[in-house]
Amino acid sequence: MTSVIDILLGGLFHAAVLFLVAAGLQLVFGVQKIVNLACGSFYALGAYFGISCVNWALALGLPPSLFLPVLIGSGILMATVAPPIEALLRTVYRRDESFQLLLTFSLVLMTQDVLRIVWGPTPQHLGTLSMTYGKVAVGSVTIPTYNLLVILASIAIAALLGFFLQRTRFGRILRATAENRDMSAALGVNVKWVYASVFTLGTMLGTVGGALVVPTSAASLDMAVELVVEAFAVVVIGGLGSMRGALAGAVIVGLMRAAAVTVYPELEMLAIYLIVIAVLIARPAGLFGKAAI
Amino acid sequence: MRSHLLVLLLLAVLALLPQVAGQYHLTLMIPFFAYGIALLGFNLLFGYTGLLSFGHALFVGIGAYAAAAITSKLGLRSFELILVASAVGAFLVAIPVGLLSVRYTKIFFGMLTLAFGMLFHSFLFKFYDITGGDGGMRVLRPSLLGMDLSTLDKTAFLTGPFYYYCLVLLGFAGLAMWRMVNSPFGLHLKAIRENPRKAEYLGVRVRLYRLFAFLISAMYCAMGGAILAVSTGLADPELAYWTHSGNLVFMVVLGGFANFLGPIVGAFSFIFLQDQLMSLTQYWRFFLGATLALIVILFPRGLMGLLQDLGGRFRAAEAPAPQRISHELGTERVNP
Amino acid sequence: MSTLIQTLNVTKAYEKFVALRDVSFEVREGEFISIVGPNGAGKTTLVNVLTGLLKPTSGQVRFKDQDAAGIGPVRLAQLGMARAFQLVHIFPALTVGETIAVAVASQLGRSRRLFASLAGDAGIQKRVRTVAEIFGLERKLDAESRLLSQGEKKLLDIASAFALRPEVILLDEPTSGVSTGDKHSIMQVLVAAARQAGVKAIILVEHDMDLVAEYSSRIVALQEGRVLADLPPAAFFNDPAIVAAIVGKRTTH
Repeated sequence: MTSVIDILLGGLFHAAVLFLVAAGLQLVFGVQKIVNLACGSFYALGAYFGISCVNWALALGLPPSLFLPVLIGSGILMATVAPPIEALLRTVYRRDESFQLLLTFSLVLMTQDVLRIVWGPTPQHLGTLSMTYGKVAVGSVTIPTYNLLVILASIAIAALLGFFLQRTRFGRILRATAENRDMSAALGVNVKWVYASVFTLGTMLGTVGGALVVPTSAASLDMAVELVVEAFAVVVIGGLGSMRGALAGAVIVGLMRAAAVTVYPELEMLAIYLIVIAVLIARPAGLFGKAAI
Repeated sequence: MRSHLLVLLLLAVLALLPQVAGQYHLTLMIPFFAYGIALLGFNLLFGYTGLLSFGHALFVGIGAYAAAAITSKLGLRSFELILVASAVGAFLVAIPVGLLSVRYTKIFFGMLTLAFGMLFHSFLFKFYDITGGDGGMRVLRPSLLGMDLSTLDKTAFLTGPFYYYCLVLLGFAGLAMWRMVNSPFGLHLKAIRENPRKAEYLGVRVRLYRLFAFLISAMYCAMGGAILAVSTGLADPELAYWTHSGNLVFMVVLGGFANFLGPIVGAFSFIFLQDQLMSLTQYWRFFLGATLALIVILFPRGLMGLLQDLGGRFRAAEAPAPQRISHELGTERVNP
Repeated sequence: MSTLIQTLNVTKAYEKFVALRDVSFEVREGEFISIVGPNGAGKTTLVNVLTGLLKPTSGQVRFKDQDAAGIGPVRLAQLGMARAFQLVHIFPALTVGETIAVAVASQLGRSRRLFASLAGDAGIQKRVRTVAEIFGLERKLDAESRLLSQGEKKLLDIASAFALRPEVILLDEPTSGVSTGDKHSIMQVLVAAARQAGVKAIILVEHDMDLVAEYSSRIVALQEGRVLADLPPAAFFNDPAIVAAIVGKRTTH
């Protein structure tokens, strides 16, 4: 029983972070039709920048208990890299998707070295800061309160995102543009502006995700390329372009990973790829995707 | 005819290179040969059939691990055996992978191949007992055409017999590929790339031919992987990682996927560009990425496309069909 | 004369919507059948069922006495039916010669010749040239398809279908998007080509009643998924009720 709860909580924490990155990926794919390989790089940028910001804030005398808002703020701030990158992507919107994919791949390569230049090759971490909030007991296990907060924050963001996309005017414009770019432009939607905002929002989900994860694990140069494949797995399982899919996919991947790590460590990522392949074969559009390609 | 002369001239230059070039640059030529062969195959799938795989590092990995298993586990040294085993291994793995993948196109094809590639990578990484885990497996010096060359030091081996061996191999691989893309078979692949629905109505079994292209590309990549592993003496999981697949695509686009020689030009430019950058700065990845971005945005037809634009003469001498697609794919999305 | 195509009580339903109801008709050797009907009458669905792309919900489709329901375009092409599309389908980056060669090579069963030279295959090249000549494209053999005029693209699309040496050819509005003057010349080329190529029957889906009247040996009229009439042209155009239902509606668009 104890291990089941362990897996559940560990998996949900991982799922919470994965969801944020995958939601960013989905948003950008849904509207701009670009599969962004650099989503993992934004996640890494958020992680490193989050560490730096918290360290600065602590050095300036911030009480340690306030580090969570600083992390979230740093994630949001980091999303300012998005508009210039979106301007770069703008050059290939009308091109074949292989070029779009490659351009985001070039971002992956470049960001890896930007991280190395700014933060150096050694992994960075925040020490035991996440314990500031103490621990809570869930049944027979205790977990850091911080992990629980991240799960709650992610749920809140998911709800906010859902409300934003379904109920607000901007959300409707987004969905219309996703449906038909040219038609929306003809109806007076400023597509350029929509794309820039969507890309920024998508990036922000990634950078905030990265910032939230660093109190529990170190930020390293490999985290970008490692997360991309997990985020890919999430969107493939859930269905490319679907927000509910991102949520379901993140929970599945998060729990699967946690279970595999506990039960049979050799299987860790292997299990996830097997699910991905199974889903693509059985339901190519994913669990929540629209009709098959 | 002019293109034949040009290729013969190039081969002659490559054959004479060991007489003039320094040893360091000659050792770099081995990965060039390896990627040249691998990418010729990769481009049959990408440039000619229109399927972009983000998982072909899987097959490069199979070639490398075949070389490692045969030399260090089985104790056999024949490089011919390694090549055959690589190709056969890749072929056998590519049958199920290809059958499942070619049901999709575009981004789904890319994602599915990426997933298969990563599946293989985590297998290599996690099953330490079989694959040596992240440390990889050693690849011992193979014999060439039955000649035992274990007494040569590594550089002498790589810049001497192995250099010529790989050059001849690239020549044959190129010739075979040239015949394939100019055969009725190659024409069918191009038709599938251009308009699969129409191709079907003309009696082309679209999925089957996509699978054929997939199988051939897998075998080429595996043979390239075997050469690569011999040059480094190691087969490690990084070879199968998705970023390596990305690099394969990078090289092909750098050279120009719409041109028969593009992959070879791409492999050459990539190897030497990377080497130059690495000697100049530790942040070579950044500049490599910037180069890729530049190529994608400004020169989508790659270096060969650039060359063609520079000299109209070149155009007349080049492969007839493949270069023409460049305009379509290079500037505008092709309507299905 | 023998029956080439036979549909028997074909019904095709998409969830609640029924596109075809109980459609039965035959195409016999030597016939030129026109399929007419207002938009939404089920013409496209019928074409897709006839070409094996869609499997009917119920009923039979037979081609040369073989079950052809949902067998797919490739198999149908092998059996001897070719199709030209309403919207032009070409291979943009392939030349005219290459486009025709795709069909010729596949019809000759030479598609799997991995290492044989296409340009050096005299058998293929000779037939490519013959087909191009029939359609007046012989001077464009080396031109890229995407650079052709709209009319030439249309001809190329149809020429490649003819290159399969089909027994039956299905033309889905071959003259749509072409000026009235060109329509007749395209149809003349088509009919002449069909005669030369030994095509045994032509199925034409067409809106233009002048063309239908001029070329058909029989007219099958669809309305709301049913066969409203299956008559020779004279009888068809002499029935005011049918003409009103099919032609009348058409003019309102």
